Amino acid sequence: MELTERVLLEATTRAALAHASADADPVLAELGWLEMLQAEPDDAIAVVFTELGCTTTATTALDDVLAFALGLGPRTDLAVMFPFGTGDSPGHHDGNYVRATGFGTARLTTATEVVIVCNNGAGAVTVPSAPVGAEAVRGIDPDGRWFRAHVDQRAELSALAPGAWESAVALGRRAIAHQIAGATRAMLDAARTHALERVQFDRPIARFQAVRHRLAETLVAIEALEATLTAAADERSPLTAALAKVAAGRAARTAATHCQQVLAGIGFTTEHPFHRYLKRTMLLDGLLGSADDITVDIGRQLLAERRVPTLIEL
Amino acid sequence: MDTPDRSIAEFRAELTAWLDVHHHELAPPYDAPRSLDDQIAQMQRVKSILFDAGWMRYGWPARVGGLGGSPMLRTELGAALAARDLTDPGLFSLIEVLAPTLIDFAPETLAAEVVPRLLSGAEMWCQGFSEPGTGSDLAALHCRAVPDGASSWVINGQKVWTSLAQYADRCVLLTRTGPPDSRHRGITAFFVDMDTPGITVAPLEMINGVKEFAEVFFDDVVVPADRILGEVDGGWAVAMSILPYERSSCFWQRIAYLYRRLEQVVEIAPDDERNAQIVGDAFAHLHALRARSRVTQHRLAAGETLGAETSIDKVLVATAEQSTYDAARRLLSGAIEIDDSNESLTWRTEYLYSRAATIYGGTAEVQRNIIARRLLDLGGDD
Repeated sequence: MELTERVLLEATTRAALAHASADADPVLAELGWLEMLQAEPDDAIAVVFTELGCTTTATTALDDVLAFALGLGPRTDLAVMFPFGTGDSPGHHDGNYVRATGFGTARLTTATEVVIVCNNGAGAVTVPSAPVGAEAVRGIDPDGRWFRAHVDQRAELSALAPGAWESAVALGRRAIAHQIAGATRAMLDAARTHALERVQFDRPIARFQAVRHRLAETLVAIEALEATLTAAADERSPLTAALAKVAAGRAARTAATHCQQVLAGIGFTTEHPFHRYLKRTMLLDGLLGSADDITVDIGRQLLAERRVPTLIEL
Repeated sequence: MDTPDRSIAEFRAELTAWLDVHHHELAPPYDAPRSLDDQIAQMQRVKSILFDAGWMRYGWPARVGGLGGSPMLRTELGAALAARDLTDPGLFSLIEVLAPTLIDFAPETLAAEVVPRLLSGAEMWCQGFSEPGTGSDLAALHCRAVPDGASSWVINGQKVWTSLAQYADRCVLLTRTGPPDSRHRGITAFFVDMDTPGITVAPLEMINGVKEFAEVFFDDVVVPADRILGEVDGGWAVAMSILPYERSSCFWQRIAYLYRRLEQVVEIAPDDERNAQIVGDAFAHLHALRARSRVTQHRLAAGETLGAETSIDKVLVATAEQSTYDAARRLLSGAIEIDDSNESLTWRTEYLYSRAATIYGGTAEVQRNIIARRLLDLGGDD
């Protein structure tokens, strides 16, 4: 996608999502999200998920990303179950039975079918959504419209292309990392505005170095995240995507800590939008594996292979 | 940036093949640990071989003996040497903060004469910027230059933290030529021969026992007027022009070395959960830094002007460097504290040096101040 085209898409998406209700799916449909995803997946995911992060609206776009990467979609009537706290596939298929515990978006309640990837990506089952019985997760982010489901039923396993689950996790992690990038930018904007407007000791608190350094530290973490996302798009692999998700989790933690401290009293209330970003990013960090989970996985891999890959080149 | 520049990828492949073939010729003739004298001799020997073979000349303009091409070619060379431990990246990448100054600000004949001597290892140069009263606040420097007739200047004052001054044949020197309080408006840069009468070099021993830095004293040092770099009172522009190279090429070379060092930890560390967390954490820092530095270098190659946003690169380098050596300390149990093998001595030296990563080249605090003022537009501070 040309730069001017992308800038235009960003502006259009931002404007459209600004007026979205709690459920932004109709807005994305109007923007032609599914067509964009298939034509220009990297740009579509980067732009849409960044803007979703900025607005804290809820969508089911993650299902489309995962279904697309699995080669099964996107289809608006298809939900994909995904894991929290790990990148492992959510289902276990044994004999003719599938047992799975996983998460989903609101798509779990509207789709006609649910895909459950099983046995470390060896295969997947597609089951009608009605018996899945998804229940809403209140949790820390009730506005995110997250659902959980337990499945224990008879189902046929279909083979998946080798590496399909790894690709889906990688693309999903990139999408979530973009969403966190958008959310942390919004947190930093809010904290910056507050620091310039809030007067204490006869001056804006932005003049105090202790406040400035917290905001600077936050920008460093966000820009590091954005660089890892560029790297993950330029060199697509499970590892570059995993590293972007690690950078996202770190940026989320850094932004939450510093921006909340700078926002102080007002950031502790629900009058200020900060709390929505804090809660959303805490949840997003865990989807498909948190920064902590992935960091240990990668470290284990490096120690097992006894090497440190340099990845991206100039 | 969708695909790496083809010519850079080709250059890297050809360079790799050449370095493989010439490994024995280039490898240090001693085992670690090496003295600073040894390291300097090795670096100059490697530069000489690489200059004769042409590799040292890529990425530099023809008017100083170069073969042209993107500056990223010389970044690739420095990174390859660092990754193979053929030269110390900190010492080797000094070229990046010295040669461009001469190319951009020296009279053409002077640049054409001296830059090839730096690249080929025939000479060593140093950079006389910091002073005892001028650490983070470079514009406060005092070292004084006054005109002595029409054709020469006389310099008096003191520099400190001058890397490798005791080995240097020349010095890129910043002096005060305006009124004492003229700050960045009254600074002039000179290219000074270090054997000029009146220059005294006193090496400083660092926390790791190495004498890389020196104090340099100037007592009535006479320098010809044609050794002025840039304009009289225009030295601040000379100093600032170094930033893009320091924050791109130098960093990429340092990054290559840090990957090598982390790999050396990973090769021998016990494979357990605690270590997996530490290794994963250090690697994630290195990767984020490398990703950021790559974007910065492509911006520079595309003709963009690098500025305050490179303070982010600087913060990431310092963080990643210290996290790599912290990982080494925690995983190589006791090596840095109580082991006296050659390998451990090198780890100890480098671990201690890494503590300076948040101090040199603008402290971590100064970088955050720049980010706050220039990138976040928070206005002035108290």
